[in-house]
Amino acid sequence: MEQLTNLIISDHELALISNVLHKLMNDTSASSVMLLDKSGQVVTTQGSSTRRNATSLGALLAGAFSSSRHVAELLGEKDFRTIFQQGVHENIYTTMIEDQWLLVIVFDKLTHIGLVKVLSKKACDELSRTLERVRADTTRQKSSVLNIQFRSSVEDTIDLLFRD
Amino acid sequence: MALINIASHEIHCKIVYYGIGYCGKTTNLQYVFKSINPSVRGEMLSIATETERTLFFDFLPLDLGTVYGFRTRFHLYTVPGQILYERTRLAVLNGADGIVFVVDSQAEKFEENVQSITELEMNLRRLGKDLTNFPIIMQWNKRDMPSALPVAVLERYLNRRRVPSFEAVASSGTGVYATLRSISKRVMAQL
Ligand SMILES: Nc1nc2c(ncn2[C@@H]2O[C@H](COP(=O)(O)OP(=O)(O)O)[C@@H](O)[C@H]2O)c(=O)[nH]1
Ligand SMILES: [Mg+2]
Repeated sequence: MEQLTNLIISDHELALISNVLHKLMNDTSASSVMLLDKSGQVVTTQGSSTRRNATSLGALLAGAFSSSRHVAELLGEKDFRTIFQQGVHENIYTTMIEDQWLLVIVFDKLTHIGLVKVLSKKACDELSRTLERVRADTTRQKSSVLNIQFRSSVEDTIDLLFRD
Repeated sequence: MALINIASHEIHCKIVYYGIGYCGKTTNLQYVFKSINPSVRGEMLSIATETERTLFFDFLPLDLGTVYGFRTRFHLYTVPGQILYERTRLAVLNGADGIVFVVDSQAEKFEENVQSITELEMNLRRLGKDLTNFPIIMQWNKRDMPSALPVAVLERYLNRRRVPSFEAVASSGTGVYATLRSISKRVMAQL
């Protein structure tokens, strides 16, 4: 697959995504639900437990998923989609959507994993339509977002901040 | 790939420092971490083995603040250099918007550098990147070492594509920011 250079998420799409995540969080009584892109960037997060460390969590969870996926591949498993990290108090369930995104659910021992599995599958189905639209259309609105003022301003900021 | 979130007004870009073990990738990030304005840097994560070598990756998020209405962030990663970790390198490369190839200039590392850049090109092709347009720059590191090869030699054999290159002594910070500025601007230009 040709790798994308940009993913652009609109207001409307983010609202749809946040809605699905919010519902999933409530229905499973999870403490947090996150959507990442598979390279570790956080698209959005719901719930309190992940907010403060969202950036680091994104990088680590995507790394953990990718490494587990390669392990599975070496063992001959072709269709690897989920990992489940079981802690004493908190559990993390990560599942891949459309080969491009990761849905992460953080929940405690009061929530049954079976419920998380079923509802996250449902959420993935709901999300995949929106996400496919994001993925398919990578040129839209770019010019209006990244206009010439933004570009020169970002260069100045880089010069200003990236120095001894 | 860069993530542009119109709703939350955020842009995230991923920059990967690639190169052989001990060439100075982690040192680049550490130098940035300790010298940059603290309001710009996030927490630096290093997933290392007990022998202190990078096992998985280092990660340093940088936040440029709001630029023309957009919160702009660069996420710096390093890959583990040891031959053993090729799979991990591929995983970290995934979604990269730009690459700094760090070269250990010492003559005795020359062959390993050549192998590493060949591997990088292969990995980028595997990920479907078009090498002619993809932002990549070279850093000739460890210029202070007595056995460092002349820059002209490095240019000839390791920089066939004639991408921008920077001399560095990462352990003292020389060249670290010149490298970072260059790759950041190239990445932004590709958006
Ligand atoms: N002399 C010298 N040593 C360096 C330089 N850059 C890094 N080092 C040292 O090389 C060793 C390996 O560096 P490190 O950043 O861990 O390499 P990595 O495996 O690429 O992450 C460390 O002891 C660094 O202090 C340099 O420019 N000159
Ligand atoms: Mg390292």
